[in-house]
Amino acid sequence: MAGPKASSTAARPASSSSAGDSSAIQSLWRTYNDTTPSRLKLVDCFLVFLMLSGIAQFLYCILVTNFPFNAFLAGFGSCVGQFVLTASLRAQVNPENRAEFKEVSPERAFADFALGSIVLHFFVFNFLG
Amino acid sequence: MRSLSYCLSLLLAAAAQASSLSIQNGRVTVSSSDATQLSSEQLSLDPGSLPSLSLGPTDTLKLTFQVVEKDGGKGVQPHQTFLRFEADGEEGVQPVRVTSGGKAKFELDGPKVDLGVVLRRPNHMFRDWRFQDILNNMARPPVSLPPTSTSPVKVSLLLGSYKHSPASLDLFTVSVPASVPAPADPFAPLPEITHTFRPEQKVPPKFISAVFSAIVLAPWVVLLGLWSTLRYSVPHLFSPHVIPFVSSLAAFEGLLLWYWIDLKLGQVLLYGALLGMVTLLTGKQALGAAGDWRVGKKQS
Repeated sequence: MAGPKASSTAARPASSSSAGDSSAIQSLWRTYNDTTPSRLKLVDCFLVFLMLSGIAQFLYCILVTNFPFNAFLAGFGSCVGQFVLTASLRAQVNPENRAEFKEVSPERAFADFALGSIVLHFFVFNFLG
Repeated sequence: MRSLSYCLSLLLAAAAQASSLSIQNGRVTVSSSDATQLSSEQLSLDPGSLPSLSLGPTDTLKLTFQVVEKDGGKGVQPHQTFLRFEADGEEGVQPVRVTSGGKAKFELDGPKVDLGVVLRRPNHMFRDWRFQDILNNMARPPVSLPPTSTSPVKVSLLLGSYKHSPASLDLFTVSVPASVPAPADPFAPLPEITHTFRPEQKVPPKFISAVFSAIVLAPWVVLLGLWSTLRYSVPHLFSPHVIPFVSSLAAFEGLLLWYWIDLKLGQVLLYGALLGMVTLLTGKQALGAAGDWRVGKKQS
């Protein structure tokens, strides 16, 4: 089920734009698929997930109601905060950025990520009401 | 003692030779707000025929007289001079300044308020008036003027002096607009204060809630689907080095869930500190092992 979904999200912008753009996007997608380590793809999937669920909650707040506003804050804030933490984890463990994070080993980055996530989740559960 | 009796005899002598005081050239004038003279009366001091005047809300009453000795006709400045207003058994006195020649002048402004408006309003409508509003809306009559109804105010002059016998002279009567009646019971309970609150926020219909629940949960399907397509293997996840760390992280999330359901803040901080120490140890072990694997993989 997820396979066609992923391919359709990738193909949709390509089919709607002109030939040059579509080939550029296709080559970008191909390069991403070929050269990105699969553990970074794992992180990228999680980032997409966070983005989608944040957007869904925000749409609910705009279109329907923000009634349990603390719950909205908790859900949306956890999405945004987790996205930021995960993005920084991805930046630190990316082998291409090894030169910029010489002192930070991937293990250290993951420890930071775990600590930051636990603190974030503590605040989020405080907001949940 | 001797001096006291001397003084007393002197006073008695003074009283014996005292002549009484009177006024002359007394005139009372009522003029309207645009200085038109409405009525003017000579004060005759005849108790049978006192002049009677009428003072409107915007009118001004002006009283002039000269205090003189009754027999000599010489102007005298009494030590005390008061105008006394009496109406319906209530009275008020107003000191009057008299020159050394005995001349005196007194003005009384009518209460500058549309008493009709005031009287027609129900009493409680004044409760939300600020004090400044009331002051702006009525120039109050002098406090010496007693509360009046429809009956006229009797005005008399009180003269006191060491050298003359005291005098009380009826001058005139004046009709003034009726005072605002005092509220029947000033301590009566006010109407109950009712508060209005914002209406309770409503939960949207069940259908919309269900649809958006599905939309919010849909990214989980995306996530799991994408991860399943990656087929990334985690060979070390269940190794004895790593599993304590992962389970302590899971315990942290469980603790936070428990905090949401039941625990108090102090409890969760205590348990979190204990679990944090455990997680520190297991994390050091697990990430150290992971580092070793990474370095070993690199070297090999």
